[in-house]
Amino acid sequence: MELTLAQGIVKAAALLGAGMCMGMGALGPGIGEGFVAGKACEGIARSPENASLITRTMLVGQAVSESTGIYSLVIALLLIFST
Amino acid sequence: MILSVEYIRIAAYLGAGISVGLGAITTGIGSGIIAGEGAIGIMKQPKANDQLFRTMLIGQAAAQTAGIFALVISMLLIYGGFDITEGGWFRAAALLSAGLAMGIGALGPSLGAGYSGGEACKSVARMPKHGNAIMGNMLIGQALSQTSAIFALVVSLLLLYSVPNQPAGLNVGKILLKSISLIGAGMAIGLGTIGPGAGIGYVAGKANDMMGRFPKERSMIMRTMFLGAAVSESTAIYSLVIAFLLIFAV
Repeated sequence: MELTLAQGIVKAAALLGAGMCMGMGALGPGIGEGFVAGKACEGIARSPENASLITRTMLVGQAVSESTGIYSLVIALLLIFST
Repeated sequence: MILSVEYIRIAAYLGAGISVGLGAITTGIGSGIIAGEGAIGIMKQPKANDQLFRTMLIGQAAAQTAGIFALVISMLLIYGGFDITEGGWFRAAALLSAGLAMGIGALGPSLGAGYSGGEACKSVARMPKHGNAIMGNMLIGQALSQTSAIFALVVSLLLLYSVPNQPAGLNVGKILLKSISLIGAGMAIGLGTIGPGAGIGYVAGKANDMMGRFPKERSMIMRTMFLGAAVSESTAIYSLVIAFLLIFAV
């Protein structure tokens, strides 16, 4: 594949963007999901009879906060493979 | 031109400085949190002095792990035989990126491990009778939060040792593309481990805290900790995938 300098710069920017996108995009979900799970540990310890309800709420909440991580993954894959 | 042969060493030395410089920030903070909580704990429970001191030292050692990874990468960059002149811009980009990956990658996990160890010390002071169970849970939690630092270490080592030399006769566009994609790989895994590392550390810290308050619910607490930590790890795995793609598939 022959690339002109201009095409090289554009593609290189897209690849650096992909790395930054996934890296920073993982920050929020990671911290957020950890916070949810920490609070769930606290909740289950305080009222173990509601463990299944709390676990359900934790998983649904984590799934929602995971979504931005998945958006970042999709954008990073698009930047790598379709620019 | 001197620069045309020296840029690989320049990149290696820059990477070495970045790696241990950034990696030391939160390793220091994390160990400090644990020592602080340990001191407060000994003040509250002078009778549990030995157990608290042991928990504090073991917790600090585990929180240092990511800092030690960063130190190892720095040492490899300085003394690992990278005072070479062949390899071209690919090699230079890979060495700089290895330092970035491990330096930034150590930030989250060591902060998480520090929080977890701090909560464990608090918990042992509250309930010295269950000190061993709490210390076991602290170590498991710290190991979970160091997982993402291990991802960063793996990517860093791959960048050091499995990036091929730049083939002769490539045009400028292609050289730029591949070099920048290697830097992107380091940034992806480095930044990508901050969130999961810190998040899992929070989970583990809360689990340690609750184990000191409600020791009877130990198995429930550990189950929730594992489940929650596994879900928060997922974004670190996405970052690992993107970093591999940027190293090997571009």
